[in-house]
Amino acid sequence: MSDETDSPLVVEELTKDYGSVVANDAVSFTVNRGEVFGFLGPNGAGKSTTIRMLLGLLKPTSGSAKVLGADVRDEAALTEAKRRIGYLPAHLGFEEEVTGETMLDYHGAMKGEGRRDELLEVFTPPVERPIREYSTGNKRMLGLVQAFMHDPDLVIMDEPTAGLDPLKQEAFNEFVRDERDRGTTVFFSSHVLSEVRRVCDRVGILRAGSLVELENVDALLHRSGKHVRVHASGAAVAEITALDGVIRPERFAEGVQFIYAGDVNALLRELATHEIQDVELGEPPIEDVFTHYYGSREDAAEGDRSGEATDPTDSAGGTDV
Amino acid sequence: MFETVRYEGKRRLRGAAVLTAGVGAYAGFIIWYFTVLEGVDYEDVFSNLPPAMLEAFGIESLSTIEGFLGAQVFNFVWLLGLGLYFAYVGGGVVARDVETERMDLLLSLPVTRSRLLVEKFAALLVPIVAVNALGGPIIYLFVVAVGETIPPDHLFLTHLLSVPFLLVCAGIGLVFSVAVDRAAIAERGAVGTAFVLYLVESVVGGAEGYDWIQYLSPTQYYEPTPTLIDGSFEPIDSAILLLAFGGLLMISQALFERRDV
Repeated sequence: MSDETDSPLVVEELTKDYGSVVANDAVSFTVNRGEVFGFLGPNGAGKSTTIRMLLGLLKPTSGSAKVLGADVRDEAALTEAKRRIGYLPAHLGFEEEVTGETMLDYHGAMKGEGRRDELLEVFTPPVERPIREYSTGNKRMLGLVQAFMHDPDLVIMDEPTAGLDPLKQEAFNEFVRDERDRGTTVFFSSHVLSEVRRVCDRVGILRAGSLVELENVDALLHRSGKHVRVHASGAAVAEITALDGVIRPERFAEGVQFIYAGDVNALLRELATHEIQDVELGEPPIEDVFTHYYGSREDAAEGDRSGEATDPTDSAGGTDV
Repeated sequence: MFETVRYEGKRRLRGAAVLTAGVGAYAGFIIWYFTVLEGVDYEDVFSNLPPAMLEAFGIESLSTIEGFLGAQVFNFVWLLGLGLYFAYVGGGVVARDVETERMDLLLSLPVTRSRLLVEKFAALLVPIVAVNALGGPIIYLFVVAVGETIPPDHLFLTHLLSVPFLLVCAGIGLVFSVAVDRAAIAERGAVGTAFVLYLVESVVGGAEGYDWIQYLSPTQYYEPTPTLIDGSFEPIDSAILLLAFGGLLMISQALFERRDV
């Protein structure tokens, strides 16, 4: 390839229109050499559609994309580029009857397998057994081995850690960081914020078929707030939810849950003044983050959350303070 | 080069062995049955049947082993059974991988769609060749074992000429396979089409004004019984079958190139 200095992934106005639904609506972004790019979005946002267009599995309705310099509409160029691309699909449709070893032999013969043994020490699927006996996690690990074993320059992964246990997930995160340090460009989709937080240099957010925001992970995390669940009396709940930065409070029998976008210390001080039975603080589900920050703008296009009114305190974009 | 055909071909070995064993066992039974029936005047028995039925089962000169094999084994197993079988198997070639999403993985490998398609189809040559290359000698040995004789060159020709026919049947399956997303639908569509074509040839063959329809059926271009009996065949028939196969392959390629998987 002549475009060694170009970005490994350049996506411009990529659109996939199925007629009844627009899965991708003019998606544009660029992934730079040697970075880990997180492609974030709730389930059904069209992440897989974008990824499958990048690999030539789906034909774009309009727009263009270049993968390692190859136009995704140019089959010959893209096929050549695939020697240097690793791919981990969301659903691993391995042939169930063959052993992991047989599958790796076949893929290795097609694209190379220089790092196979090394990878099988990090990820440990039982390669001598037929794939039908694999757990979801084992399948995922086998998929990771085949995605990286030919030492690709660009690796595209669709929900790579789905089905991995926490330990393997940590191993995966560390592995991805190491790969980046070796110069590999990694592009992966996820609907789990914590997953991208730990490994991604940059994040793109796909919602309702179009890329709505691109910002660094810290800023995104800073703005995403906390998911808070408090078990307390009605009077206490009323005072707690009156705090600045409380968004979309939902009452339930024993208390309330809400997204908190303000200063955590202020919340803790407020909580300390009440009789609290139980409290949980955690990362908000990604859809909540989207609904909070982009909901008011995208409701018309999205429609799936139309039942929920966006809290007027939405101006609490003041979280950035 | 050829990694896919090697891989898929290996995966077809077991099926090919089972198929060959099954066909061989059936042929063995039929040959044994021929010796049991010796002395019965079958032509008398069958002379009462309607001509369309005689035509459908290619019944002629049942009193010789060649005629008997032609009717009971080749017309029944090769023209109908194997024809439908390879249409069915062809139907699964692409649609099954699309349905299980294995195609995503395969197309992420550095291989063009057309090459992948051709190699996957080429793996079907394993059972096609096995059932003929092994089935032929098995039939020959059975015939010799019951004390009959059959000209080996006629038998060889009959098997050889079946290959273009079976390729067309598998090719019909392949077109269905790239045209639809679900394996079961592709397989049923292919089998149904092959069966309808078989019926059309045998039923419409005698109908005046509509007899042109029979030329649409691949079964029209492979007639094992005369080849077995006196080694006669029409080279043009095989040429037509090969041409049709080429056309089906090209249609499949074009459809596969254009589709989303």
